[in-house]
Amino acid sequence: MTINDSAIAESTTNTITTTSTKIKARGRRWIAWLDISQSLSGVILALFLWTHLVLVSSILLGGDAMSWVAGLMELSFLSSDGHGYPWIVSLIAMGIGTLAFIHALVAMQKLPLSLKQQLALRKQMSAIKHGDTQLWVTGVIIFVLLPVHLWLIGSAPETIGPSGSASRIWNDGVWLLYLPLLLSVELHAAIGIYRVAIKWGAARDLNTRARMKKIKNIISVVFVLIGLASLLAFLPYA
Amino acid sequence: MNLIETKGRSLTFNIFRYDPQEAGDKPKMVKYQIEETPGMTVFIALNMLREHQDTSLQFDFVCRAGICGSCAMVINGLPTLACRTLTKNYPKGEITLMPLPGFELIGDLSVNTGKFMRELAERLKLWLHPMSEDADVHRLETPMSPQEAAKLYELDRCVECGVCVSACATKQMRESFVGAVGMMKLARFELDSRDSRTTEDFYHVIGNQDGVFGCMTLLGCQDNCPKDLPHMQQIAYLRRKMAMAQF
Repeated sequence: MTINDSAIAESTTNTITTTSTKIKARGRRWIAWLDISQSLSGVILALFLWTHLVLVSSILLGGDAMSWVAGLMELSFLSSDGHGYPWIVSLIAMGIGTLAFIHALVAMQKLPLSLKQQLALRKQMSAIKHGDTQLWVTGVIIFVLLPVHLWLIGSAPETIGPSGSASRIWNDGVWLLYLPLLLSVELHAAIGIYRVAIKWGAARDLNTRARMKKIKNIISVVFVLIGLASLLAFLPYA
Repeated sequence: MNLIETKGRSLTFNIFRYDPQEAGDKPKMVKYQIEETPGMTVFIALNMLREHQDTSLQFDFVCRAGICGSCAMVINGLPTLACRTLTKNYPKGEITLMPLPGFELIGDLSVNTGKFMRELAERLKLWLHPMSEDADVHRLETPMSPQEAAKLYELDRCVECGVCVSACATKQMRESFVGAVGMMKLARFELDSRDSRTTEDFYHVIGNQDGVFGCMTLLGCQDNCPKDLPHMQQIAYLRRKMAMAQF
C-alpha cells in the first residue's frame, strides 16, 4: 500500500464510521406505531360502518325485519323475556367512540392544526390542481357530528327500532345530523380504505390504482344511496 | 401545407412577475401575446418572449430536453417541465405560468431548487456509504446483478426538478418533510447492495414524521412527476420496511 492508498482507505473508513448511526433510537419508535394504528383503526371503523349501514338498512325490508335485527344486536335470544340487553348497544357505541377518538387523535399528527399550516394547505389547493389532495373536509365534519350520534344512540339504546328510530330521525329532526354525517362518513371510509391500500403498497401499478379509485367511488355512491333510502324508509313509521 | 395552416394562433401567456431583489417590486401577473409555431413548447415560447418582448423575464433552463430538471414551473395549475409541455395541448390558447411553490424564489419563474436539493442530500446523506472492506482500493468489487442495476437505474432517473416537492401538500404544511425526492433517493441506496447502511440507519432519518410516517399518501408526487418515477410503490416499500423494523 502506498501512502496515497492508505490515506484514501483512512478517509473512507472515517466516512463509514462517522455517517452510520448504529445507536438504536428506541424513543422514536412510537411514530411508526402511530401510523400503523391510524391505518388499523381506520380499517376497523370502515368495516364497522359498512356492517352498521347494512344492518340499519333492514328497514327497507320492513319494520319487522328491523325489529328482528335490533333484537339480535341486543342479544334478545339470550334473555328469558326476549327483550335482550340494550346496554350492549351502549357498550358498542362506547367502543366505537373510543376507537374513533384514537383514530382522530393519531390523525391529528398529520392534520394542519396551526393557522400557518392551514394557510399553506389552502394556498397549495388553489395553486396546484390535484384531485387526491382535495379530500379533506370529511374527517372534520365526522369529528363534530359523530359524538352527537354516538351519544343519542348510546344513551337511549332501547329506542332503536322502526318506530323509535323513525321518531328520532323525523320527529326530533335528527335527520339534519344524519344527512351530512352519512355523506361525509361514506366518503371518508371509502377514501380512507383506498388510501390505506395504496399507502402500504397494495397497488403495484397505476392501472390498479385507477381501478381501486373507481371501486372506491362506487362503494361511496352505493352506501350513500342505501343510507338515503333507509332514512326515507323510516318516514312511514314516524 | 398551405399558408393558413402555417399561420399560428395567438397564445396568451399569463406570467407571474416578481423580483425580490428589486426594492418596492410587488408580485403581479403580466399578460403576453405570442404567435404559436409548430411543435412549440412552453420553454420555446418563454425564450421567444424574453428575446423579443421582455428581456427582464427570469426563468431557468439548461438542456431543453427534460433531462436537467431546471425548467419546472406550474403550468395552468400543474407543476411540470416547461420544455416537455407543448403549447398545442392548450386548446384555449391561454397559459398561466407560476413559479414552483415551496422553494426560495429567485425571481419571476426561477426558484432555487438547487439549494433545497443540496440541503436534502446533506441531511439524508444521499451518497454511497461503502462497506468497510471496500475501503481497500485494491480489492476487486463484487459485480452487481443486472436486475439490481436496473432497479437502481430506475430510481436514478430523478432529475431533481422539484415538482414532487411543490405538488406535495404535506411538504407545504411541514417544512422539514423530506418529500418524494428524498425518499426516492434514499430508497436507491437502501436497494444498493454496496451500501453499508442498515434498516436501522435508514429508520433514523426517515422513520419519523418528516419521513415515511408523515406522508399522507396524497400522491401529488406520483401524479405530477415528469419522469414518471414510481413514487407510489417506492414510498409504500419504504413504509413497509420501516414498519417491519418494529417487529
